[in-house]
Amino acid sequence: MKLDYEFLEAEVKKLDLAGSVTLHDLGCQDSGLEAIAKLIDENEARLVVAACTSQKIQPRIDQYLQSQGKDPSRITYVNIREHSAWVHNDPSEASKKSLDMIRGALARSVDSTSIVSEMKEVPAHVTVIGGGIAGVEAALSLSNLGYHVTLVERESSVGGHVVQLPVVAPTGKSGKEVFSGRLNALENDKNIDVMTDTTVKFVEGELGSFTLHYNIPDDEDEKTLQTSAVVLATGFQEFKPTMMDEYQYGKNPNVVTQLELSRMLTEGNMVRPSDGKPVNEVIMVQCVGSRSEDYKRDCSKLCCTFAIDNSLEILERNPDTNVQVVYMDIRVPFENEMIYKESRERGVDYIRGRVSMVWESDDETHVRIYDSLLNQYLESTPDLVVLSSAILPSDGVAELSETLGYTLEEDGHIKELYGKLRRTETRRRGVVAVGAITRPQFVFEAVTDAQAAALVLHNELQGGKIEKVARGAVLDVDDCVGCSLCAQQCPRGVPLMIEQTDAEEEDEAQKILFKAAIDILNCHSCGVCQSLCPSGATQLNFLSNSQLWSEIEAVLNEADSEYPITVCFYCEECSVSTIDIVGTRKMEYPASSRLIPVPCAGRVSIIDILKAFEHGASTVMIAACETDRCHIGGTGNEIAQVQVDVTRDILNAIGWKGERVDMFRMFSAEPDRFTSAIREMVKRAQELGPTPVHKGTAGKWMEVTE
Amino acid sequence: MTDPVLVIGAGVAGMTAAVELADNGVKTILIDRKSTIGGNALELYKAFPTDDCFYCFEGNRWRPGIRKCFYRSAMVDQPNIDLKTDTRVKGISGTPGKFSVILDLGPQYVDPKRCTLCGLCTNVSEAFLLASPQCQPQAVSYDPEKTDDGAKKAEDECPTQAINLSAIQTEETVTVSDIVIATGYHEMKPSVVDEYGYGKLPNVITQLELAQMLDPNGESAGALVRPSDGAQVKNVMMIQCVGSRDENYYPFCSKICCVFALKHANIISSERNDSRVSVVYMDIRTYDQHERYYRETRDAGVEFVRGRVSRVESQKDGTLDVHVYDSLLNRYLKFTVDLLVLSSALEPPEAADELLSSLGLNSASGYVGPADPISENEVVAGEHVYACGGALGPAEVPESVNQARAVVSKILQGRK
Repeated sequence: MKLDYEFLEAEVKKLDLAGSVTLHDLGCQDSGLEAIAKLIDENEARLVVAACTSQKIQPRIDQYLQSQGKDPSRITYVNIREHSAWVHNDPSEASKKSLDMIRGALARSVDSTSIVSEMKEVPAHVTVIGGGIAGVEAALSLSNLGYHVTLVERESSVGGHVVQLPVVAPTGKSGKEVFSGRLNALENDKNIDVMTDTTVKFVEGELGSFTLHYNIPDDEDEKTLQTSAVVLATGFQEFKPTMMDEYQYGKNPNVVTQLELSRMLTEGNMVRPSDGKPVNEVIMVQCVGSRSEDYKRDCSKLCCTFAIDNSLEILERNPDTNVQVVYMDIRVPFENEMIYKESRERGVDYIRGRVSMVWESDDETHVRIYDSLLNQYLESTPDLVVLSSAILPSDGVAELSETLGYTLEEDGHIKELYGKLRRTETRRRGVVAVGAITRPQFVFEAVTDAQAAALVLHNELQGGKIEKVARGAVLDVDDCVGCSLCAQQCPRGVPLMIEQTDAEEEDEAQKILFKAAIDILNCHSCGVCQSLCPSGATQLNFLSNSQLWSEIEAVLNEADSEYPITVCFYCEECSVSTIDIVGTRKMEYPASSRLIPVPCAGRVSIIDILKAFEHGASTVMIAACETDRCHIGGTGNEIAQVQVDVTRDILNAIGWKGERVDMFRMFSAEPDRFTSAIREMVKRAQELGPTPVHKGTAGKWMEVTE
Repeated sequence: MTDPVLVIGAGVAGMTAAVELADNGVKTILIDRKSTIGGNALELYKAFPTDDCFYCFEGNRWRPGIRKCFYRSAMVDQPNIDLKTDTRVKGISGTPGKFSVILDLGPQYVDPKRCTLCGLCTNVSEAFLLASPQCQPQAVSYDPEKTDDGAKKAEDECPTQAINLSAIQTEETVTVSDIVIATGYHEMKPSVVDEYGYGKLPNVITQLELAQMLDPNGESAGALVRPSDGAQVKNVMMIQCVGSRDENYYPFCSKICCVFALKHANIISSERNDSRVSVVYMDIRTYDQHERYYRETRDAGVEFVRGRVSRVESQKDGTLDVHVYDSLLNRYLKFTVDLLVLSSALEPPEAADELLSSLGLNSASGYVGPADPISENEVVAGEHVYACGGALGPAEVPESVNQARAVVSKILQGRK
């Protein structure tokens, strides 16, 4: 669990890449920070820090240097503690590995560039699509944060579904009362333009410069609006179960949905729709279309509470009404349980089971219910059958996604960027989604969602003056061949294909009509565009192709068949965490591993992997985030998977063994995912023996034997 | 110069609120009663809905990148965050917008900025411990009750002089403009519920205790074993609504225990091949997309029994006989299991009452209630007082994060 520092110092000194070597006991403490600042001054800010994990010391060093007006952006970090000293029993092997990785970092560091802050001004204007409670709350929040807001509503007035609710749990107040405060605020807010009766056709552009195309009534011309960000708040729609024969919905007027009942209660007295006679007996049916393999697989969450609210409202108006609720599980979260209990006490009858059939005879509606507790069929003749129908996303979400580029869930709701931490964000930067368009939400949840999303946009727009360290992909337009791979595969949809109107190519066939454009301030620095770019036109400004290739070459300087090396490219999200935690827990693994950091697994290209083999690696592994958990936007790890798969095909085709490369997914709660992965690849390195590079046969044509 | 914001509780919600405030240039005092922050999340292993770790949390301006493991969150290194661990609120006075808060700071035995996790102290003394490799701050903690001869040696030899064994409790009064309550929830210890034998029978545990057992970084390295004798567990039974939906304890539904239990049932049935799981329930409440856990567990062969447990008896061979009334069959059944896991109610943390009354806030079954229920602003607890996460009632991670952001949104709106 120690390194031979004398050996390291002596060996690093020998390298041409290093101007000087300084040993310091405590780089992260005051004396160390001072030493680093001094070295930065002496070496034009270029420095390699070989220490513990950069994940911990980099923020401290960055801050210290920035507070002194120095530039920390050219420092390259190598982790020789968690990634070497703490995980190998033999100090000499650990020292050898550390030396290789320091040499690699030095090579990477040669072409490091200073990364400076950039500033960009964008209009402090946001457009909110949808004037339900979530949309209105988002508009008010953004206005309070200093933005001009345009609120677009398709109907003739704002309010959405909430104003149709006779009672909103747990307040006991009507939807109109809940909404009224916000309606007043909206009317008095000079920073919010409300456009009702307005239909959004499509939205194009990117954060800071979206163009909204819309139509207003009695005017065929499409209008446009410039805006910096978009809030999607188009709410939900209730599933209309006309195709479910068992319920007779749409055929029997006395069969209504829960929301239709809400409207009846809000608008006036509840009567039998068929003949206007009083309602004495009501049967409510839960999970109509929800929790169903044929319609919506998931639970719609709100319907149990809606049904209970409406039951209590019915009993409030006419205590003699007989209300029965047919259910599978009653799902009422937290204090809504108390409303459920109250409804039981007030006589609402709950039948666990399913409705098997609704039919009409003798002017009466008949319902047959299977009661799973009694294991019996019951029959009843209610005045009203109320279907608690599934909650679905509103229309038009899929159409808008065509130009806005966010992704959708299987059930049509807008997919969040990351389920645990980034619920209101979409795959598309500058586009947030709030309220029921993302998932069924209670009113208070939609309000919270809207307030949170306003902060998310405020963090991005910063009042219209975006300041950010410009770490990201830089595109050299001259080298772009117009293939559009970057625009198609960027996890956040940043590259745009721009028409080359003034392209003056002599040969018409050579003319490139569209070329990519990347706004670095929108970039998330994953490097997917770089790994896919066939012409090297787009490259990360902190990890160019030549930087990574020279690092690979330097790390593998000593590689041969005597001591087979496994190269591990690891992403600096979940993988670095996993590998660091392996170190902190001092879990041992073979020291023939060499670790090379990349911002995202998607940064690693086929060429990068082949470079590792060219320079003597026996096996190569890519450590990435778990499936569907890529931090960058969900797909960087899948791009890496494709690169690995293709590399395997290439290796097999040229007579190597495809198993020499593999990809592994991990997260820090299960550190043994990394140790078992690296053991597997080290084992393969030993079993597969010398590579053609080791044997000196590489580069020659070989016959493939299957 | 505006006064800082005080965030009470450094779990997922409190940490999110603090970094978002800090990012927006607001000075923030973040306090936690423990020496290691992260709250309940640090002990929960795998999170729903994403099934990856719980120790994950959003990147911010001082930590470029996307989202980060707790250990990378640099909470002691951010310019606008003043993190105070081992700290409790002793008293609050003043007026909204200018609160005066007396903080009770426990002895700061280890300076987290100096600790490098070199391992010297943990090697020579039992009193030092790294709570979790992901913990934040990344520093060992010291338990004075376990002090030994090695502790003094550790103090003397610590290469960064990070240890001060003679540290004492201190008091500090801070003036803050806003207070954010992020005190989380607490899992009820169901020893009061006689019929299950919790606290008397070693093989009866809670879901939170099960989470720690399933954690590969835990004591049993993820192996499912009987606490009584370390024997491999073949049959697990989970009981839902222990102390929840119960007039004798908590009448409310704890909301996340069904998902929590099924998440564990899923891990057991898919990754611990030899174990069988049955779940005794009243209603399975897997809201919205969490329904997936219900589908998956049924597909994996988890047995669901609708009913209630009437009696648990310990057998000589270490197994438990569990008598269950099955309301679908209208029959009493007897199960023999190795491990009985209670999905215990999630209750407000201790001292929640004091906080509610000293700030004059509404209570929602002991949790923080909204100041104005009709507005449906759940995070606004009072004038310049906000709440987020488990402090508002049982909450999932994504809800806690959203609420924390809503709080910061409201505070920034108020400052514009």
